[in-house]
Amino acid sequence: MSLLKLNKATIRFGGLVAVNEVSFDLEKGDLFGLIGPNGAGKTTCFNLITGVYTPTSGEIVFQGKQIQGTPSNRIASLGIARTFQNIRLFPALSVLENVVVGGFLRHKTGLFSALAYLPNSIKETTRLKDEAYHLLEILDLEDVADTRSADLPYGKQRRLEIARAMATQPELLLLDEPAAGMNPQESEDLMRTVRKLRDEHGKTVLLIEHDMKFVMNLCEKIFVLDHGEQIAYGGPSEVRNDPKVIAAYLGEAV
Amino acid sequence: MKYWVVRIASIALALFACYGIDMMSAGWNSYSQRIFALVGLYVTLAVSLNLINGITGQFSIGHAAFYQVGAYLSGYISVTFYDKMGVHGLPWLFLMMFAGAAGAAVAGLVVGLPSLRLRGDYLAIVTMGFGEIIRIIVENTDKIGGSYGLNVQPKFLHVGVIWLLAIVCIAVCRNLLKTAHGLPFLAVREDEIASSAMGVNVTSTKVTAFVLGSAFAGAAGALLAHYEGFITPTTFAMDTSFIILTMVVLGGTGSITGSAISAALLAYLPEYLRTLQNADGTPLAVTGSSVMAALLTVAVAVGAIRAVINMPGASAQKRTLYILGAILASGLVKIIFQIALLQVPYLAKLHIEAGQLRMVIFAVSLVVIMLIRPQGIFAHHEFSWSWVKKVLFRKEGPKTAVAS
Repeated sequence: MSLLKLNKATIRFGGLVAVNEVSFDLEKGDLFGLIGPNGAGKTTCFNLITGVYTPTSGEIVFQGKQIQGTPSNRIASLGIARTFQNIRLFPALSVLENVVVGGFLRHKTGLFSALAYLPNSIKETTRLKDEAYHLLEILDLEDVADTRSADLPYGKQRRLEIARAMATQPELLLLDEPAAGMNPQESEDLMRTVRKLRDEHGKTVLLIEHDMKFVMNLCEKIFVLDHGEQIAYGGPSEVRNDPKVIAAYLGEAV
Repeated sequence: MKYWVVRIASIALALFACYGIDMMSAGWNSYSQRIFALVGLYVTLAVSLNLINGITGQFSIGHAAFYQVGAYLSGYISVTFYDKMGVHGLPWLFLMMFAGAAGAAVAGLVVGLPSLRLRGDYLAIVTMGFGEIIRIIVENTDKIGGSYGLNVQPKFLHVGVIWLLAIVCIAVCRNLLKTAHGLPFLAVREDEIASSAMGVNVTSTKVTAFVLGSAFAGAAGALLAHYEGFITPTTFAMDTSFIILTMVVLGGTGSITGSAISAALLAYLPEYLRTLQNADGTPLAVTGSSVMAALLTVAVAVGAIRAVINMPGASAQKRTLYILGAILASGLVKIIFQIALLQVPYLAKLHIEAGQLRMVIFAVSLVVIMLIRPQGIFAHHEFSWSWVKKVLFRKEGPKTAVAS
């Protein structure tokens, strides 16, 4: 059984068909790339999967359950976490607090024990913070744990987004342009980190990326979208040489 | 073990302090006692509105409505049922406080569920509208006194209970921020889409904050009704909502400390001005020239301070020094303006009682704070013992990660 299955997922905004009958399968442990020119509908795909939008037609199946139309917060607790293309951290919160928010969906104590500051609530807070700190170590952010997240340099903000998504302990991690704006050294490091998340932490990763070097080196399967439709699917070398992909990126020969 | 010792000690201390307040204020004249009671109520109102506006980031400007719901509900219950029930004295007051809180919480839920899906100014308009609806309903319901007001019997002149509520309100908000449970509230304020992608149920978080804040306002209303013994709809008009909002904004939205301190100041200051007297015992009055000169001086001083703040490349110490200089210099500026303005016959003859200036002071202080420090006096900061240690001994206290 595949982990995530899109079956003819379609969404229309008025007359515009942003995503048109897109179908693909993700197996557990995949490193799956979603690429395409600007406006191809990649982020819209993410928004469909994470419940920001409900597909006009088609279905999205995660671990055997249909999830289209489920609210975002429910989808997060089912095990799909995401990062955002235009970074969306909680700017006034510290780096550690940002990650604790991600871990909070696994809280067990009630609101009352927090309001009364009961021991189980304090214990849980300590536990969530410890877990968050551990994630910061994995992503090399432990030295800035107490910094306000808005004060972080750009590359670290991107990594913090991944740490925060990881804190929800997802099965599937959606990364929306994780390497955008990074210098070659940083994106090299990021590539290693993403691979580590898959190899050592057993996450399945679906990522959108414009940096071709990044995608081709990292992803084992690549799905190419253009104008909301599938134009190619396969391994890096197949996709790279596909005439339709070349046409979509470079324009067709006249 | 240490936890329980600290816990029990602090609860005992709070109760003892409230008992002390009650005993102490019982000996005061009714005027100062009433001011002290009102200050306590405003602290509760501001801190509870801060939970909605500052911590969860939902801009509500109808807080007086929940205050009113609590006051009228508990007042009406007292008038109708007090004689028929076996409960008397303080237990009845506590019972009424819970009734007021419950009534306001239900009102908060009814308003919150549909309207908290709205954002920013839309939510503000809905809460404002709700405030007016409640006031007009009360004004036109004869059973609860209509616009004449409601006589609440029995009266309880216990300032200690009012302050106990304020302390509980502050403690509850602080506890929330100290545990991980507070983070979803802050996260919703910071970014709703990101919080919901992280599994935070945005709507229920907002509604929780709204209901909790309303409940405290309702409890405060119940205490007001039973302290004053008489309530009218004008007490809960829109300007009350705005005064509470001003307290939150001035103190620094999101800061419990800020809300509490600015509530205490803004509730006390106008009354203090009213008590000022001339040597002959008449209320203190100032000339129009003096008021005008003060306003102009404030304008000049604010301009100067802003210039210092925006000065490129100055060290913090230099800035502080310049700002202090500007404040001292403005004393001189005020004298010069006053001498000049005394030449204007109309202003020189105009006499304004200090007590009448309260609204002017409200407005001016709000404008000044927004110009000089738009994030409020305390911004997001909270009072903490480690901070006191840091200031007093110049040492790093233990860093708390959650309470921001």
